[in-house]
Amino acid sequence: MASTTTAGKPAANTLPKKRRNSFLKGEEMTAWWFVLPSFALLLIFVFYPMLQAFIISFQNYNLVGGTRSFVGLDNYRTLMTDQSFLASLRHSFYFAVIVIPIQTSISLGMALLIQKKVATTGLFRTIYFIPVVVSTAVAATVFKLIYNKEYGLLNNFLELVHLPTTNFLSNPDTAMNGVIMLGMWKAVGFFMIIFLAGLNNIPQDLYEASKVDGASKIQQFFRITLPLLNRTTAFVVIITTIDAIKISGLVFVLTNGGPNGATETAVFYIYQMAFKQMQMGYGTAAAFILFAIVLVISLVQMRLFRNQDY
Amino acid sequence: MNRIASFVKYIIMIILAIVSIIPIFWMISGASRPYEELFKYSNSFNIHLFVPVHPTLQNFKDVIFNERNPFLTYIGNTLFVASIVTLLVLLINAMSAFAFAKLHFRGKGVVFALFMSAMIIPGEVTLVPNYLLMHNFGWLDSYKALIIPSMLSVFGIFLLRQFFAEVPDEILEAAKIDGASMPRTFLRIVLPAAVPPMITLGLMTFLGNWDSYLWPLIVINDDKKQMIQVAIAAFSSAEGTDWSKILAASTISTVPILVIFLFLQRYYIQGITMSGVKG
Repeated sequence: MASTTTAGKPAANTLPKKRRNSFLKGEEMTAWWFVLPSFALLLIFVFYPMLQAFIISFQNYNLVGGTRSFVGLDNYRTLMTDQSFLASLRHSFYFAVIVIPIQTSISLGMALLIQKKVATTGLFRTIYFIPVVVSTAVAATVFKLIYNKEYGLLNNFLELVHLPTTNFLSNPDTAMNGVIMLGMWKAVGFFMIIFLAGLNNIPQDLYEASKVDGASKIQQFFRITLPLLNRTTAFVVIITTIDAIKISGLVFVLTNGGPNGATETAVFYIYQMAFKQMQMGYGTAAAFILFAIVLVISLVQMRLFRNQDY
Repeated sequence: MNRIASFVKYIIMIILAIVSIIPIFWMISGASRPYEELFKYSNSFNIHLFVPVHPTLQNFKDVIFNERNPFLTYIGNTLFVASIVTLLVLLINAMSAFAFAKLHFRGKGVVFALFMSAMIIPGEVTLVPNYLLMHNFGWLDSYKALIIPSMLSVFGIFLLRQFFAEVPDEILEAAKIDGASMPRTFLRIVLPAAVPPMITLGLMTFLGNWDSYLWPLIVINDDKKQMIQVAIAAFSSAEGTDWSKILAASTISTVPILVIFLFLQRYYIQGITMSGVKG
């Protein structure tokens, strides 16, 4: 998203200076009135909290006792050795590392499948997109039942094809995989749409020309489609990474961090610290560390994708 | 060879489609069958796994007229908040998008850059300070906490500005010569020209608010005022094993949204495309 925006150009002074002042006065006032409501919201609910967050993260701030004291880098230092925080980061990263390649490949595959403008593709596109519209809480609730060992749909299916049944969510080793499957089920449709838009931007005559030169479908995919989709893929990978590392909503409803904290992700941990233990400073410091990690990863990814721009 | 390939392609497409909608389908069918029937067919693969034998609306009735869990209240609350937020988001962000697209004022570039830089500030970092802000304003447990901070949509400003930029300057000039004030020109000429992106932004905002979970969980404590998603999550832990009721509650909160989406999906998909590929 950041890459797509260019700041508005400063207004061109087309008029001679003297006239401009009297003529623009009214318009400038009007323009400011138009911008004022959203600008006020931006200052109060985005920039001011960001500044506050920075300050709070250096404080020991407990909302219950109402105590606030400056503790310097203590929060950050403690976090670096806080086993449960580090574990929550690990869980978030495990989620991200699995989800990024698989989800991106599936959504690109789906986009390729329904790219041709035939009568049925519109219908399939809609069906594939439905999970995106289903809310997180509902999806997680329904999946809880689908994963159920005795009468869940999933084990039912596994039995049918003679695979061992599992009790995904109650086993700490596999619970995260249950979250991963739900996360991907909900998100592939969204990224498929973005890939579709990217595919539609590739000029068709490239394919026709390469066909004349005797290129196979597979060669076309690797020589034309993938290189020309580079920007779209970059966008998808970066957004997927950010969303994956910040995963929280699904975990709240599906597993509530359990079993044994096996699905406590970083944002879940921040919530627990700030709103269950009321350690506002500590929770905010954790959020800053997470933000820094996400930012660094995004910048590295942008770099990597730029290096292979064609 | 080609026939086989396209046959395989269709098979894959159909399998993906089944995976996409089976959970939803199962939810709806489970909600409309008696509780004892829900698991009766769960260990076999016959048609009744998905098709109720004795279809009933009892679960829906139980959920709606439940004394402890007034489900319609939650839906009403969420409709109220989401509608107000959507209207205000459209008005407020369209105003500044218009100013950025068509009006001249000093510092425009800087102010716009400030808005766009807000896109990278994550909500997780500002979560605690925003909560404290609500605490200090005395807005905890009131809908102000859900509505007022949600009125800004930087993405919306970015989206609408691109459309307003395409409104010809001559039209604005003509309106000015005819003596129309700027707000009037905006309401009468500019907004009607931007109906499609307004629908896109409105739909995205509404669905986003319908879906919001973490923020209401934090700022609303009073059960009677709670939003639908938090209610569903709480419902499924409170009711424990009464799965048919849980499925009914989930169905009630999902189907209306799905219907809205099916009618307006073109706009929604446009919004996603706009956000992603305008490279």
